Amino acid sequence: MAVQRKQVPIDGRLFKLPSSPSEKAHLIGSRCRSCGETFFPKRSYCANCTSPDMEEVALSTRGKLETFTISRATPPGSLIQAPYGLGYVRLPEGCIVQTVLSECDPQKLKIDMDMELVIEKIREDEEGNDVMAFKFKPV
Amino acid sequence: MREVVILGVGLHKFERFTDKTLVELGEVAISNALKESGVPFKDIEAAYVGHCYAAMGTGRSVVTQFGETGIPIVNIEVACSSATQALLRGAWEIASGLYDVVLAVGVEKMGTGLISMGGETDRYIVEMGYMVMPASYAMRARRHMHDYGTTFEQLAMCSVKEHKNGALNPYAQYQKEITLEEVMNSRMIADPITLYMCSPTSSGASAAVICAKEKAKKYISKKPITIAGWALSSGTYAREALEFGGMEELAQKAYNRAGIGPEDIDVAQVHDAFSPGEIFIPESLGLIPEGEGGRWIEEDKTEINGVLPINTDGGLVARGHPIGATGIAQVAELVWQLRGEAGPRQVPGKPKVALQHNAGIGGVIVSIYKR
Repeated sequence: MAVQRKQVPIDGRLFKLPSSPSEKAHLIGSRCRSCGETFFPKRSYCANCTSPDMEEVALSTRGKLETFTISRATPPGSLIQAPYGLGYVRLPEGCIVQTVLSECDPQKLKIDMDMELVIEKIREDEEGNDVMAFKFKPV
Repeated sequence: MREVVILGVGLHKFERFTDKTLVELGEVAISNALKESGVPFKDIEAAYVGHCYAAMGTGRSVVTQFGETGIPIVNIEVACSSATQALLRGAWEIASGLYDVVLAVGVEKMGTGLISMGGETDRYIVEMGYMVMPASYAMRARRHMHDYGTTFEQLAMCSVKEHKNGALNPYAQYQKEITLEEVMNSRMIADPITLYMCSPTSSGASAAVICAKEKAKKYISKKPITIAGWALSSGTYAREALEFGGMEELAQKAYNRAGIGPEDIDVAQVHDAFSPGEIFIPESLGLIPEGEGGRWIEEDKTEINGVLPINTDGGLVARGHPIGATGIAQVAELVWQLRGEAGPRQVPGKPKVALQHNAGIGGVIVSIYKR
């Protein structure tokens, strides 16, 4: 029987993988208890008011595409191969997420369209685990 | 605070490949700046040297070619605005009375292709393909097209104008005009930015000698140009901003310090790491009404003979962009324009007030210069 390979996030600060099939993966953000602003990725001090009173929050998995581009070149060290979409997705919490897009046809992307979080394997690590990264795809 | 003037500027031509060392590049730029200023090196009290990819202590290696006089030589890194920050660090110290005469330098040698941050970057940022420098300008350009109806042709027109000006600049990396079709049909790098809308990787050097205005008479220099006001920001958090927030306020701070408004600017240099920057940056500085940047380029308003000449030396796209040296090259062009020495690139009508916008991932500077 094939053993299910273990999945690990590319960076534990960015998102949480589901711990059971009924759960969904979500990005991890920080909400400032002092001024109410929400940020991604998470941070210890508020970028808006400098307060250290931050709480970790599970961010919405859907948002709107603020703008995008299609990179036609693969930057040094990137495991994502060109062409690929890059964009900013605005989540309902107000924060903006810089993200790779699963779609790279500019005709199929539109500013303000609804986008959804997806988690995909990007490489394997030294222990043979699947290293997972996040993207957003059009809904 | 004391007034600060620029007595001399100098460049080493920007080029894609060079066999010269950083020291050799810097020596040419500094020597040219010293000549223009009439200041002997022994009068320089401190030096600030901007660079991003060079070895530690590069500033000392470059500057002490002119003599080991024991002055403090400090390296400055603010990414693409390193050289301007070197200049303004000196200006602050002269203004506050610490020194009378300071040398500011920018030197850089770069490889080719998409640039990296150097040093340590979070692994996920590299592996997930975020390090695409044109992407940031591309996404702002696409948003501008969506919000204001700016066209791909208008973005390409910026590159045509940059190359047209670069063809008149003996220090420019690209001194050849280019057609609209060539820009539009060149390889797509990050939609809607094509290859000929990208600043190249470059090597080169820039230098400026600055002095307290009250001490400037000591030197037989070219006409001194006043650094009238400046402001630096690392970006203010704003929910609606994609990256750097607070640019309008930053520009206003520089205008206030110089005692002028955007309507007084006769010639400007803006940080066009990618051509579309010539459309949305002047809007953020209040130089062009919001949303009209595309129309302005189409109506030739930013040409050398236009109502607001922008990047008369070819900008980063045609002049070249050796990251740590770019800032003082922008300043050099403005100094020559204000002195009326820009030759075939000279803005008509004797420009009196000039604006510089120099931006990088390390910070954004807006500076005003006056004749």
